[in-house]
Amino acid sequence: MDHNRREIEVMANLLGSNDMQAEVNRTHFQKNHCLAINVIGSPGAGKTTLLEKTLPQLILDFQVGVIEGDIFTSKDADRIAVHEVPVIQINTGGGCHLDSRMVSKVLPEFNWQALDLMIIENVGNLVCPADFDLGEAFKIIVLSIVEGDDKPAKYPVIFRNAKAVVLNKMDLELLTDVNMESMKRDIKLINPEIEIFEVSCRNGNGLQAWTSWLSHEIEAYKKNES
Amino acid sequence: MHEMSLMGGVFEVIERTLSQHEVKRVLQVKLKVGELTNAEPDALDMAFEAYSKDTICEGAELIVERVPVRGRCRNCQHEFTVKTMFFLCPNCQHTAIEVIQGEELLLESLEVE
Repeated sequence: MDHNRREIEVMANLLGSNDMQAEVNRTHFQKNHCLAINVIGSPGAGKTTLLEKTLPQLILDFQVGVIEGDIFTSKDADRIAVHEVPVIQINTGGGCHLDSRMVSKVLPEFNWQALDLMIIENVGNLVCPADFDLGEAFKIIVLSIVEGDDKPAKYPVIFRNAKAVVLNKMDLELLTDVNMESMKRDIKLINPEIEIFEVSCRNGNGLQAWTSWLSHEIEAYKKNES
Repeated sequence: MHEMSLMGGVFEVIERTLSQHEVKRVLQVKLKVGELTNAEPDALDMAFEAYSKDTICEGAELIVERVPVRGRCRNCQHEFTVKTMFFLCPNCQHTAIEVIQGEELLLESLEVE
């Protein structure tokens, strides 16, 4: 029956449907002059803590909304809600990353006239979220230095695709064997244009530089999109 | 394990493709997966088995071709294979490198009868 064997050439993108929805989301953010950022990092890197420390400063100048991705709980969303910003929880129910469809489903929950910044905190994971565009303007990585200086080289895809990395838990530098020079050198070799912020969410060091940079990005985005 | 989601994408494409062809059975599915993605071939195999069960693809062979990362230097235009994921031009040491290959996640072809 071999003569019935034939090949069908396809050449189709496996992420086609995710990418299409991501473009729809991106247009939605642009139309509303709202900068959307996708925050990615391992569990425990300090993503939610960074938001908690950044929000009080940001809301003085901007209207901010937050989408919290989590596998099962609403623990992170509860922490954000205290800061009186609109926050919506997405539970992936076991899924290791957010995708563009999950995000699109919750977009109608926000009042878009009012928003300057939408922070999408992804599920804690340095691997899977890297492949899924949500429609954000750019990705931010939160990496705690105690995870080890080898992590950028071990997870290059996400470092190649992010605009900035926040190196958190700098207050623990002297308690660990982390080699900051080697970590930063690897990050820059993977992505020479990436911005690096060294912060401690615990004692507040470095947070000012990060927050000013983000404020700057919001203003630049609004200027470009209007 | 986002390979399950990626496999969802594979089967979306397969369904769409087969709706335009008369096919009794799918014998082989060929994917192209760039090294600059996080798709792991073993996990893709497992996901394929799970997805293909009780479908026209059950028993088909999944072939995953890994595509190495290639870069082009924006300074001297030199093209090279990026081996360690460090983006440094071996010719002029410049770091502004455009990725020209290695980000693919493609269903290349189907072999059917």
